[in-house]
Amino acid sequence: MEKTIVQFILENIWVFLPLGATGILATLVLFFLPRHAAPSKYKEVQPDYITIFNRRMNAYVVVYLIIWIMIILIGLLSDFLIPTIIGGIIAAVPLIILILLEYKTNKSKVS
Amino acid sequence: MSFIEINQNFGENTQLLAPFIAVIAIVWVFLVYYSYKKHGAKRTIVYFLPIIIATLLIESAGVAGGRYYYSGYIIYLSVVGGAVPLIIVLAWSVNLFLFMNLGKYFVSKLYQKQNYLQILFISLAAGIFGVCLDLLEDPLAHHNNWWIWGTTLKGIKFFGVPILNFIGWFVLIFFMSIATLLIERSRFSENRKVLLSISSLAITGSIIFLVHALIVKLFEFMNLA
Repeated sequence: MEKTIVQFILENIWVFLPLGATGILATLVLFFLPRHAAPSKYKEVQPDYITIFNRRMNAYVVVYLIIWIMIILIGLLSDFLIPTIIGGIIAAVPLIILILLEYKTNKSKVS
Repeated sequence: MSFIEINQNFGENTQLLAPFIAVIAIVWVFLVYYSYKKHGAKRTIVYFLPIIIATLLIESAGVAGGRYYYSGYIIYLSVVGGAVPLIIVLAWSVNLFLFMNLGKYFVSKLYQKQNYLQILFISLAAGIFGVCLDLLEDPLAHHNNWWIWGTTLKGIKFFGVPILNFIGWFVLIFFMSIATLLIERSRFSENRKVLLSISSLAITGSIIFLVHALIVKLFEFMNLA
């Protein structure tokens, strides 16, 4: 009979409890220890762009696009058409939103 | 069972496993290198190491509990009794880094204020993007035996994949993104951020555990899982 991860952790609580307790204690110590180093203010790093075929694109969108294409290709080669098409459409939604948003922002900057 | 195991039968009982591993390996190397060049070594550790440790524990517990198992990979790691391929935990670090940065990119276009609400929006976007890609990847993985689900699993399934798996993806990416962003934006030194990112896994892990347990109970109550 399969167990959920939650059931497994509860059954082996004596393995996970000391790990968790040590981690929580260490976090509290690290959190409240006096700071020796000068606090550095968080600086937002602008999203990086890379140029592909003379088009400036966000590096992470390109990586997502590559993964999406490769998984669809593997799906088609696996004779797994319908789930690949349905999954491919759902997985394309973030890509479409991000590309449209980029296009809209660029357009509003120009105008 | 030792911590590291080497499997001699690469690709056993699977289909097109090599291209899947190649995609993950190439993307992982690229993203780690990209993060290192952009943010430096310590920040890269904050982004990649905690999720590797967390998913090694979670995946190992999932395999040890008999929910699923992995066949045909080369290098396996085992921490709590279940053997998990090294490439799977590396894939999880790709997931977190990629979806968190896509979330940042998406939210920065709509909401520029750097506050807790922005962290929440980024994490929500990261979780949703992650589930979108998993809805493509997981059914294919199931079909090609890249990971094999237990035969007696009940409840709603999406092309053979239990719906709780997708909820698990969302919960994990959502809470790990929150933890990573909070540490990233804190004013501690870089060394302390590295230590905090690892030690705070106990807190993030406990929250993930509680939320996931509640969702499982809710699904069981509604006869959905």
